[in-house]
Amino acid sequence: MARLSLGILLAAALGAQQDAPALLEQKCLHCHGATPLGKLDLRTREAALRGGEHGAAIVPGAAPTSKLIRMVSGLDTPRMPLNGALSPAEIDLLTRWIAAGAPYPDRPLTARQKLTLTPEPPLRDADRKWWAFEPIRAPGGSIDHWLNQALTQAGIPPSPRAPKATLIRRAYLDLLGLPPTPAEVAAFVNNPDPQAWPQLIDQLLASPHYGERWGRHWLDLARYADSNGYEHDFDRPHAWRYRDYVIRAFNDDKPYHTFLTEQLAGDEIPHPTYDSLTATGFLRGYAKVGFREKDNPEFRYEYLDDMIATIGRGVMGLTVQCARCHDHKFDPISQKDYYRMQAGLFGYVELDHPLVPPAEAQAWRAANARLDAAIAALRNQLRALEAPYAARILPEKYKRFPANVQQAIATPEAQRTPGQVLLANQVIRTTRANPAEIDRLCTPADLAARRRLQQQITALEKQRPPAPPLAMGVTDGDYRFTPDGPGDEPAPGKGVQSTNLVGSFLHEGPGRYIAPPSFLLVRGDRHAPAEPIGPGFPRIADPASRPTELPPPHGKTSGRRLALAHWLTAPEHPLTARVMANRIWHHHFGRGLVASLDNFGRMGDRPSHPALLDYLATEFRTRGCSIKAMHRLIMTSQAYQRDSLGESGAAADPANRLLWRFPMRRLEAEIVRDQVLAVSGALNRTLGGPAVFPPLPAELLASSTKGIWHNQPDGPETWRRSVYVYRKRGLPFPFFEIFDLPDQNIACGARNVSTVPTQALYLMNDPFLLRQASLFAGRLREAGGDPVAHAFQLALARAPRPEERVAVAGLSLEALAQVILNLNEFLYLR
Amino acid sequence: MNRRQLLLTAGGGLGALALNSLEAATHHPAKAKRVISLFMSGGVSHLDTFDPKPALTRYAGHPLEGKGEVVVRQGHPGPLMPSPFTFRRHGQSGLEVSELFPKLGALCDEYALIRSAFSKSNDHVQAHYALASGQIRMGFPSLGAWVSYGLGSLNQDLPGYVVLYDQRGGPFGGPANWTAGFMPAAYQGTVFRAANQPILDLQPPPGVSAAEQRQRLAALRQLNSIDAARAPSNSELTARLDSYELAYRMQSAAPDAVDLSSESPATRRLYGLDEAHTEPFGRQCLMARRLVERGVRFVQLYHGGLGNQNLDTWDAHEDVKANHTRHAAATDTPIAGLLTDLKSRGLLTDTLVLWHGEFGRMPISQRGLGRDHNPGVMSLWMAGAGIRGGQVIGTSDEFGYKAAEQPVSVHDFHATILHLLGLDHTKLTYRFNGRQMRLTDVYGTPVPQLL
Repeated sequence: MARLSLGILLAAALGAQQDAPALLEQKCLHCHGATPLGKLDLRTREAALRGGEHGAAIVPGAAPTSKLIRMVSGLDTPRMPLNGALSPAEIDLLTRWIAAGAPYPDRPLTARQKLTLTPEPPLRDADRKWWAFEPIRAPGGSIDHWLNQALTQAGIPPSPRAPKATLIRRAYLDLLGLPPTPAEVAAFVNNPDPQAWPQLIDQLLASPHYGERWGRHWLDLARYADSNGYEHDFDRPHAWRYRDYVIRAFNDDKPYHTFLTEQLAGDEIPHPTYDSLTATGFLRGYAKVGFREKDNPEFRYEYLDDMIATIGRGVMGLTVQCARCHDHKFDPISQKDYYRMQAGLFGYVELDHPLVPPAEAQAWRAANARLDAAIAALRNQLRALEAPYAARILPEKYKRFPANVQQAIATPEAQRTPGQVLLANQVIRTTRANPAEIDRLCTPADLAARRRLQQQITALEKQRPPAPPLAMGVTDGDYRFTPDGPGDEPAPGKGVQSTNLVGSFLHEGPGRYIAPPSFLLVRGDRHAPAEPIGPGFPRIADPASRPTELPPPHGKTSGRRLALAHWLTAPEHPLTARVMANRIWHHHFGRGLVASLDNFGRMGDRPSHPALLDYLATEFRTRGCSIKAMHRLIMTSQAYQRDSLGESGAAADPANRLLWRFPMRRLEAEIVRDQVLAVSGALNRTLGGPAVFPPLPAELLASSTKGIWHNQPDGPETWRRSVYVYRKRGLPFPFFEIFDLPDQNIACGARNVSTVPTQALYLMNDPFLLRQASLFAGRLREAGGDPVAHAFQLALARAPRPEERVAVAGLSLEALAQVILNLNEFLYLR
Repeated sequence: MNRRQLLLTAGGGLGALALNSLEAATHHPAKAKRVISLFMSGGVSHLDTFDPKPALTRYAGHPLEGKGEVVVRQGHPGPLMPSPFTFRRHGQSGLEVSELFPKLGALCDEYALIRSAFSKSNDHVQAHYALASGQIRMGFPSLGAWVSYGLGSLNQDLPGYVVLYDQRGGPFGGPANWTAGFMPAAYQGTVFRAANQPILDLQPPPGVSAAEQRQRLAALRQLNSIDAARAPSNSELTARLDSYELAYRMQSAAPDAVDLSSESPATRRLYGLDEAHTEPFGRQCLMARRLVERGVRFVQLYHGGLGNQNLDTWDAHEDVKANHTRHAAATDTPIAGLLTDLKSRGLLTDTLVLWHGEFGRMPISQRGLGRDHNPGVMSLWMAGAGIRGGQVIGTSDEFGYKAAEQPVSVHDFHATILHLLGLDHTKLTYRFNGRQMRLTDVYGTPVPQLL
């Protein structure tokens, strides 16, 4: 009774027009009416009961479980309506209306308000004052100045310099991912020259193995893989060229701003090179479904989102992708910022760039086009020849279908019921006469003619010119005209209706290329474009309002990606240099000055040493964005050379945030394997080229049957560095996976380190490991002398201690070798 | 920072290991301690198993109209097609189950049936990922990983999250279905095979005797102890030492867990091990019981594997009668055996058993005999963990084309599972890239009738 009277009071207070359907018209229908976002249409009761993507909006009589109530009262997120919550009285009105069975008026409801968006929130001073958006300062000092200052304040005496043998192993594993030889260790340990350490660093930076080690860090970020992922997990036969590009770029010490520009816009720079075209593979690192984008346009938005996420997290340290459906909840990134960035990338099309002179590429394309045309003509002839036979074969095939299907087909088209039309269509359109069946019926003359045509086709196929080297990359174009390619399987009944579109895949015509239109999408729903939107950058990081298009003279691309690269590498950009300097620091010390490498926003970690971070970012820029210069700077600091043992700060700073000792840490998966190969003497040091497939057990291959894995024998062919092992998205390489390989589908800056028994099982029992242990034992046997000392020198760069000799006494050489390969000290950088 | 993250971040590896051997605190009292998930891969037709639709008979041969554009995976929608199977009421509750599952039908008072579940994709792989991780994209931690992360392990010598897939091949989407995503490797599913060597690399290869291995492990332990003593404040080194002990115990515990020879003939019959067509899945189900008995927290079973997709999975495009008759016959006895056995051993009270596919199938025919994919609605059931059996939750529309009353999303389903395990799906978070990630993203409401 009390409740009823409250209802009456409310109704009175709200006025006569404020009944529940009227409330829907005012507050809900502009998004869930004629433009049913999330496929929810609230105009009629039937449609509301049917609901949208998240199910029925209204369950009559069950208000508490009705999606509508859950959404408007904030029980489910996002709270609706997006442009302002309902009042408690309004929610109560809806609740009581549903409880009463949700009666609708006799007419469909209509929106009382047009589709409008909340205005873009202006940047506030507080937003600009967040440390990561402040201009980079040049605080001066040095690494040790800033670190020691904090240590002195905390009253922690740092560990002394590490023994020289420890240092050389540290430098080798850190820069090359390979251990030093005993001779290299001896030479360094016995060299009294104070310049020996910087000279060693220079020597290692000149090694081609450096790029294999540090390039791999970048490949984590670029979510590099050799296969597409998802259902078909198709092979990416040219992906490795991008991997080799990255390795080469690190070896050549390509300045970071050039490296970034090539990856974002290698096709748009003034003088594209094979390397710069290959670099655009960075944008194609996304996991991909096996169907054409033009048939599945929704996936294109996922790929764009993946690019934005990768550039955002990887280059800017910002979670821009969080603003896809709404303004960012924590950082000053608006939804418009997101769609401006999307517009900047929207013209991209997937293209395998031929790495030959343009004339040669043109000749190759033209030759293929000629052959395609000739083959198509022959196929038409073949079809004409086959048609009468197919007409005889198909009725026989229809007999395999149930009676209702046969009856539908037998019924003259005009007389079929609507259901029969569907049945007949399904079968007629999907049933084909196969070649063998036609062969059996052919007259000798027709058979001979068929064979002749087939042979002509085969002969033409053989004339196809060999493909030039191809690099998997992007350029600008119009994805709606993407030609079919290998692996494309047009899904029937889907796709972009391109019949009334005029255009071409790549820009050919006169005038400038114009990117296909892109829109701000309400709630990220591609069915709800709100307004066309042009390219731009997140306002918070664009103090100089840089140009958003730098069209190249040839006019074939928009120049939007080039503008993006210029903005990211501009001197006033507050993030790019900080983020990269922090990454380099992270890989040297196992932890960034900002621990959340990919997030410098409000939900990320604050810098442990803000001045030091700015010092590094400034040095990075003044040294021409040279990554090798940063290695020299960091590795010659006292901090880098500290012993990893020592307990002076164990009580005051157990997590070692202040770096009072060098942080000991487990080596990454790939480096554990590379080190095993190096120590056993089996490592095949060949650089670059297509990926290798170390053998996997059949049981494992059975868990993922799509895509490729061509087992090679366990031998020198596969004893290559781990960066060359095939990265299959659907089947992570087990050795890497158990040692915390990051998931290959999300850009990853910092890897996990976990300790699980499967790692122990692998190192104790896997045939690969035991084979390497046996090779290691053979190496010790061959060397003669003191095998224990030799084993320790090879694997740990030091002599065994007496108590360690006692522990291994009585072990066979094979056992000794395997035990050494399992040691913590062997698996750790220290 | 909550306790889980503290354990994780305090020395990385140690945290992971400690979590694996400790029970973590729940958010509220748990009704279930462990989960057995039965995934029927390929897409079970709800219309032919758990959701009878007389309207399909009435309107057989008519187009499905008034429902907007009907999107089918393989193109060319057909007319409405009745189920070739008859339904019968069972048990106290009178639940209607098709003749395909005589034994499961008889046990209908043990499980709660949801007839209004729906998913997000009509693509097998993405629909698998949706059930596995709540996301149709690759790279997100699976339900089992979240449960392992949230609750830790119940045992000292087996992995906490075990996967047993169909001997004919892995499910659609492969190992990404049991990934730990962005979490540490400690939480990923470990594949067990039905042979006596259930885990890859469990035993040393021939040529290394047990005595030899013990000798190596002893030397290793000694050397690692000497080393660990030099860095007393580095707990990771000790954790690694312990991981070898765990691995060693696993070498005997894991084969024992999958060794069915000690099971009585009656038990073996109960699971259908005496018949060729029920033996493979019966073996998986019996292994699942042995694993949960030994404290494995989450056992993921798959029926249907990618050998020949049309034949070896529930993907009944060609002929729903032939396909479903075969797969139902292969699973009815084993699953009924599992429920019966768990109950008689008192395990069902705190074990949650899940049964589902990745989507339902279409009420319209494909080429007269088959059914295409339908993510709009599917039937699934949950048993054990104090759930009131025999109840039906939600409905599909009159043709079984879309969820109607009380639609249950995959997020709702996941939220319910976590709730029963004592975990609040909005509080079970893992920090990645500066964001508190959840299994249910920003969605999900537990199904109230099941709490």
